[in-house]
Amino acid sequence: MKNETPILEIRGIQKSFDRGNGKLLRVLEDVNLDIRPNEVIALIGPSGCGKSTILRIFAGLIEPTKGQVRYQGEKQEGLNPNVAIVFQGFALYPWMTVEQNVEAVLRAKGMAPAAVKEKTNRAIRMVGLEGFEEAYPRELSGGMKQRVGMARALSVDPELLFMDEPFSQVDALTAEGLRAEILDIWDDREQNPSSILMVSHDIKEVAYMADRIVVLSANPGRIRTIVENPLPRPRGMRSPEFLRLVDQLHDIITSTELPDIAVTTVEPSVEQDIVESLPYALNADLLGTLEYLATQGGSCDIFQVVAQTHVPFEKVLTAVKGLEMLELVETPKRSVHLTPLGHRFVEAGMDERKLIWRDQLLELKLFRVVREMLDLREGELPKEELIQELSTRLPMEDPEHTFETIVAWGRFAEIFAYREEKEVLTYE
Amino acid sequence: MLNQLLDTVWGQTNALFYPFRRRRYVDLFVILLGCALLYGLVQLGHQWTGAKRPVVEVNLSVWALPKYTFFSMMRGLAAYVLSLLFTLAYAFWAAKDNRAEKLLVPILDILQSIPVLGFMPGLVLGLAALFPGSNFGLELAAVVMIFTGQAWNMTFSLYHSLKSVPNEMHEAATVFGFNWWQRFKWVELPYGTSGLVWNSMMSMAGGWFFLMITEAFKLGDQDFRLPGLGSYMSVAVERGNGWAMFAAVIAMVVMIIFLDQILWRPVVVWAQRFRVEETAQADNAHSWLLKLMRRSRLLRWVEHRRAQRRYHPKPAQETPKGRSSWALHRWSLHRWFANAALAALLLLVAFTTIELLRFLAKVQAPQWWMLFKAGLLTLSRVLVSTILGTLWAVPAGLAIGLSPRLSKLLQPVVQVAASFPAPMLFPVVLAVLLHLGVSLGYGCVVLMLLGTQWYILFNVIAGAMAIPGDLKEAATSFRLPPWHRMKVLYLPAIFPYLVTGWVTAAGGAWNASIVAEYYTLKGVALSTFGLGSEVSKAAYHKELALLAAGVLLMSAIVVIFNRLVWKPCYQLAYTKFSLTK
Repeated sequence: MKNETPILEIRGIQKSFDRGNGKLLRVLEDVNLDIRPNEVIALIGPSGCGKSTILRIFAGLIEPTKGQVRYQGEKQEGLNPNVAIVFQGFALYPWMTVEQNVEAVLRAKGMAPAAVKEKTNRAIRMVGLEGFEEAYPRELSGGMKQRVGMARALSVDPELLFMDEPFSQVDALTAEGLRAEILDIWDDREQNPSSILMVSHDIKEVAYMADRIVVLSANPGRIRTIVENPLPRPRGMRSPEFLRLVDQLHDIITSTELPDIAVTTVEPSVEQDIVESLPYALNADLLGTLEYLATQGGSCDIFQVVAQTHVPFEKVLTAVKGLEMLELVETPKRSVHLTPLGHRFVEAGMDERKLIWRDQLLELKLFRVVREMLDLREGELPKEELIQELSTRLPMEDPEHTFETIVAWGRFAEIFAYREEKEVLTYE
Repeated sequence: MLNQLLDTVWGQTNALFYPFRRRRYVDLFVILLGCALLYGLVQLGHQWTGAKRPVVEVNLSVWALPKYTFFSMMRGLAAYVLSLLFTLAYAFWAAKDNRAEKLLVPILDILQSIPVLGFMPGLVLGLAALFPGSNFGLELAAVVMIFTGQAWNMTFSLYHSLKSVPNEMHEAATVFGFNWWQRFKWVELPYGTSGLVWNSMMSMAGGWFFLMITEAFKLGDQDFRLPGLGSYMSVAVERGNGWAMFAAVIAMVVMIIFLDQILWRPVVVWAQRFRVEETAQADNAHSWLLKLMRRSRLLRWVEHRRAQRRYHPKPAQETPKGRSSWALHRWSLHRWFANAALAALLLLVAFTTIELLRFLAKVQAPQWWMLFKAGLLTLSRVLVSTILGTLWAVPAGLAIGLSPRLSKLLQPVVQVAASFPAPMLFPVVLAVLLHLGVSLGYGCVVLMLLGTQWYILFNVIAGAMAIPGDLKEAATSFRLPPWHRMKVLYLPAIFPYLVTGWVTAAGGAWNASIVAEYYTLKGVALSTFGLGSEVSKAAYHKELALLAAGVLLMSAIVVIFNRLVWKPCYQLAYTKFSLTK
């Protein structure tokens, strides 16, 4: 399989987005990847790693800043007509019935009415939507809507099917069924799609579906590693081999996201002008994670947290990252421990918690910077100004997100308050 | 209420005829409607192309009213069609061409703030001169003037919709290869339809406001008059014929209700499928006419034929690999067209500005100073009328909106009241005011209020109806006393709606000032100092430079006021008091 020429490949891709104020946000850095015939390939990684951007560059929806896209060995200009996309938010047109939604894309191809009818019926049958032809999308559940999205994509008989987090807005049980159905359709060698590219944040999902799993790291997005998945299909989600693969993927992603460097070991003198980037996690998530750890005796495998709390993996990761910055937990390998301070925090009442939180926040350079700016401004710091500062100091981060985190953490610590209608930060 | 009434009446008549009907009468109805329309259009054609009469004699007999009403209605509809075409073109251009957008949006903002009277002399003189032999020029001028009262908010609405089409919808259209026309007809236009329909109703109502002036307009010693409901009313007022005035008011109300039932109800019901919020439950709007029409076999047959012919099999377009050259060619053509259009726009703006400046050079400093003082005075009147309107409309609107029974009963009535052109009621109110000894200086505030209070009321009702049930229940369960409940729940919850009401009301009050501060009753001109009366007087005496200065000042005040007061209010409403976020 490895020796086949790829259908679609990207070489040396770099992508920056203009953030408006003339500053560029680099989203992708030197990404090389190919899609081979008859495979399912999945992109996984933390938010902000640019996985959806890679998908759109492959499809020709977005032009890369640098690098090349090649289809069948030739340079691809603009949109690739052999690609169909299933969207995360379904992207159905609410004023068209199920049937009309599918027909529209066929008519856009300039097909004769008879062919349009026939292909529409075929696609609707393929995804099991018979009887719903006349329904409007708003009458359907999330799972049914995504079936329409799939029917629409499959109706044009695409060589490549792209799916951008297709099941993240579908309930878990339905998603499981849809995954198997998609694989059945793909498995039929006689008909398209030949290959599937999917973006996902669900480790089990990619282990179940993909032949190759591309793990990305963020800021800027890079390919960390590509994991081959040799398991035979159909894959049982309870089989030991499957669970081992899931475990392995977990390890790779954690080691990307939580490198075992304690924040405290950095010498203050070196740190002088560097501010820490904050994970985009609100205090409720942090507190929730702490409480959960406490119920587990103060130590727990990070994936156990994901499995038992049903909180998405990414969210748990950012929360743990945040707690680690505040020195409330440690993360040797994949497990999370409460530190002695963390224990004290969990057992403390609200007032003491706020004190600990406050002390820990002021250990962070970023919060000291904010407080200095606030002093300078005599207690009224406009949001705009802080956002400016953040985007120069943390060029890789979304300043709005960082700002939100600063406000949320700072409010809890009662270091400062934020007045939304005036958009200013003030003293508590 | 009206709807319900008609529904039941209709239902009962239907039941009477039940034995006879095999639903054929619906087809008969459709055919009759078609014939009536055709006859009317022929009449209208005669009127438009007929030889130009020096002065139109308006017949004050009640029997002449249906014809006049029909003429006025057709003018309004023609203007609406024009507004729609303008909206489609302008909004699409502004949304698609980033460079032109920077110019088009501010222009629209300014156009919106110019009172209809500002367009009038140029249009009337120009178009009347263009068609010296027939009524066509004057008719066209009337239509275009109604258009200037309709188009702008429709254009804004569509522009905003086009700009806010969700990204994924666009991406899907791109990936599946929609061309620009398919994207427009399947994605962008449907997305904007809800807003466009709503604004169309508002616009149609706004277009009637100046009907009395647009159909019977005096410019210096020239009298431009067209047969219509507006000119009927103005002649009736001139002669002080009470019965004729009363009949004209009734005719206006009938026309508004007729249009609501025949045109807007069906359109609103039809447009429901374009709702974008996926979760919103079906609104209860229904239309007897649409229900009826859907029963017609004739129409079904036509629809069927149309569906069959809808798309001719196009030769299947191959997508050759080397199509980029063609795409590139088309792209450059498109580019060229956009550049040409932009250049034309720039030229037009530059030309208008230069002409206007040359015109304004004739206005002397003392005149400017006088206009400025007049502007401040009228501004204060506008504000007072808005405040007065708020004082009674907020409690009344809350009472109506919070009671499902009352709102069901009164909302259509308020809607009709809001669409009614207030200047038609001025003579009656003025007579009462003068009888009470109130001078026009204060009285004109009441006249302004007459037209604008409904916008506030209407929006407050809508806001009160939109307060979520759980918030009301929470207030009840905490036993909040009424005043406290008002402060913590009702006032904040209706605030965003109230702001919309204020903006519309203030805009309406400015427009009304032109008529309210200068009114001719029984041949006697009543006037009081103010920007509205200065503008009116300038138009009446054909002092075009002064007119231009007055109109310019008025739109400047409106634009500045929007920026300084209403925009922050909107901001506040959106960030702090929005219930949807």
